[in-house]
Amino acid sequence: MSNIPPGLLLLLGAALVPLFRGHLKNIYTILLPAITFYCIAMLPADASLTVSFVGFDLNLLRVDKLSKAFGYIFTLSAFAAFVYGYYQKGSTEFVSALMYIGSALMVVFAGDLITLYIFWEAMAITSVYLVLARKTKKSFEAAFRYILVHVFGGLVLLAGIILTISQSGTIAFEAFNPQHATIGNWLILCGFLINAAALPVSSWLPDAYPESTVLGGVILSAYTSKTAVYTLIRGYPGWEILILMGCLMSIYGIIYALLENDMRRILAYSIINQVGFMVCAVGIGTPLALSGAVAHAFCHIIYKALLWMSAGAVLYRTGKSKCTDLGGLYNTMPLSLIFGGIGALAISSVPLTSGFTSKTIIIAAAANQHLLWAWLVLEIASAGVFLHAGIKFPYFVFFAKDKGMRPKEAPKTMLLAMAFLSFFCVYLGMFPERLYNILPDTEIVKSVMPHSFMDIYVHHFGHVVTQSQMLIFSGLVFFLFLPLLKRTDTISLDFDWFYRKGGRLVFFLLDKGFNNVNSFVDKTIAKGMTCRLSRFFALGPGRFGLAMIKSFWQMSGIGAVELDNSEKRYLEKYRTANFSIGSTAIFALFFILLFFIL
Amino acid sequence: MKNSDFEPGFFDRPATRKMLWRFLWGFCALTVILEAFIHREHHFAIDNFYGFYAVLGFLACLLCILVAKLLALFLKAKVDYYDE
Repeated sequence: MSNIPPGLLLLLGAALVPLFRGHLKNIYTILLPAITFYCIAMLPADASLTVSFVGFDLNLLRVDKLSKAFGYIFTLSAFAAFVYGYYQKGSTEFVSALMYIGSALMVVFAGDLITLYIFWEAMAITSVYLVLARKTKKSFEAAFRYILVHVFGGLVLLAGIILTISQSGTIAFEAFNPQHATIGNWLILCGFLINAAALPVSSWLPDAYPESTVLGGVILSAYTSKTAVYTLIRGYPGWEILILMGCLMSIYGIIYALLENDMRRILAYSIINQVGFMVCAVGIGTPLALSGAVAHAFCHIIYKALLWMSAGAVLYRTGKSKCTDLGGLYNTMPLSLIFGGIGALAISSVPLTSGFTSKTIIIAAAANQHLLWAWLVLEIASAGVFLHAGIKFPYFVFFAKDKGMRPKEAPKTMLLAMAFLSFFCVYLGMFPERLYNILPDTEIVKSVMPHSFMDIYVHHFGHVVTQSQMLIFSGLVFFLFLPLLKRTDTISLDFDWFYRKGGRLVFFLLDKGFNNVNSFVDKTIAKGMTCRLSRFFALGPGRFGLAMIKSFWQMSGIGAVELDNSEKRYLEKYRTANFSIGSTAIFALFFILLFFIL
Repeated sequence: MKNSDFEPGFFDRPATRKMLWRFLWGFCALTVILEAFIHREHHFAIDNFYGFYAVLGFLACLLCILVAKLLALFLKAKVDYYDE
């Protein structure tokens, strides 16, 4: 039992889901991630599983603190998601979700690039069903674009892996050295960044996730981008380009979330904003920063799933997701508001919540390295998070203008899942030591960061005050400038414009270009030249004979009219192959003579 | 579910809104005043003045809103933009 890859449990377990009926199906899906969580906790550090595959020894199980930390949070959030998904009775979403999460776990525990690639692609394929299961035209189209982007990303990754393996001669997945970066390393980085929704290949995320099902959104929000963060931590620590990329992502997420009208699209953009913090931390690359990225990924998965759950409950009860259609829901959905609100406070790093104890590590790491600009951008982005995810989402959905909707409160199992995650948001904010203990560099984190309740909230009360100061003034800006933030029923053009409109342009150009070439060729070659050739071969010999015989007729001195008639008679005879034996013999003789002369 | 003549809920009453505004301003003032009584770490030269985080929070958010508003001029499109 000690060397079973945890992902395999979910992948195999997924196959059995259709065998269960009713409540048993739900209970089974809830138990699977719980058992997997236990197996991860029990994995010894020296566990490994090597499998031979086309001449390579694949390592399906690499166990260290980094892979375990991601294993814990992946299974923990899966458990909460399936409690939330208790309302769901069909098998499609459960099977695809379990296979998707299983593949993500396989990537996290993969010790080599080939295993990583196989399950990387499996993640893309299995996750797309969570979008397709919404069964709308929009979701179908979004799923199609989603899979195209991921197929492209997968190919870039594959090219990078092949180049890297052929250059280094090893399939092991270890940290790449930025001083000796090869093209293969860069391509792998691009492949990872596409899944992390880095610029400019970011728009697949806010394009597809908001079109997914209620449960699908909760699940999708956790795995693809955070698996990418894991691979970046593992492979690209200290690659400075990631600092810049992370800063750009964190600001881009805020600006677009502010422009957005769809509540789940606001949350999708805020994933990019949050992943930006983690990518930036990977770029800083110090042990403190990397542990900060892990801690932030851990807390982020919890509060982001909580936010998606809250938004999902609203969508489930009202069937609406646009801010312009929603408002005033606090009247009848107060618990969804409270739990969603806790998620919103956690993502904003409000003291006493998990964001406060995780994001602070990354910002401290930037300050410790004296990276003024990165530090400043991260602080600005922290303030901006409160603006778009902390206030905008709950305000426009639950407050704003009361539209008179009085839907029922979310189902009890949804509330239970939200309460479970809310507990973690607050618990990790007050007692982060448990979280710090599972980070790759526990000692370094604990030596720099306060980690007991007294230490954080009493001895370092100054930080609590400055953080509150920044956030409350951000809130003040929101309410002072509320007229500027009024929602309109519009969409914002994003980078996907290039392939959504650009794709049509390419189609138009191909249509016009190739179809014109086609019709030109049809006219000149198919219809023109072929006909002429066919006429030439059909009538050529006859006309040649006519040209010869005509001169004899002219020499014999016949008149123009009779010459014309003879010509017609001759051609008629030629067409019907009706020459007399005599004239055929004369022609044959003539051709033989011509042959000898030439 | 739709109810045309619904009662305004607690948060939609003018009195509540007024109270919340007071609370917001009060909390802003409180955090700035509290700064006088705490020991604050600073990492760079620029964050070494009183009320730095208040100014940062205010300006950063204002900047984000204005940039978003500016970009909206170019980026906003009708809902059926991609269907045309």
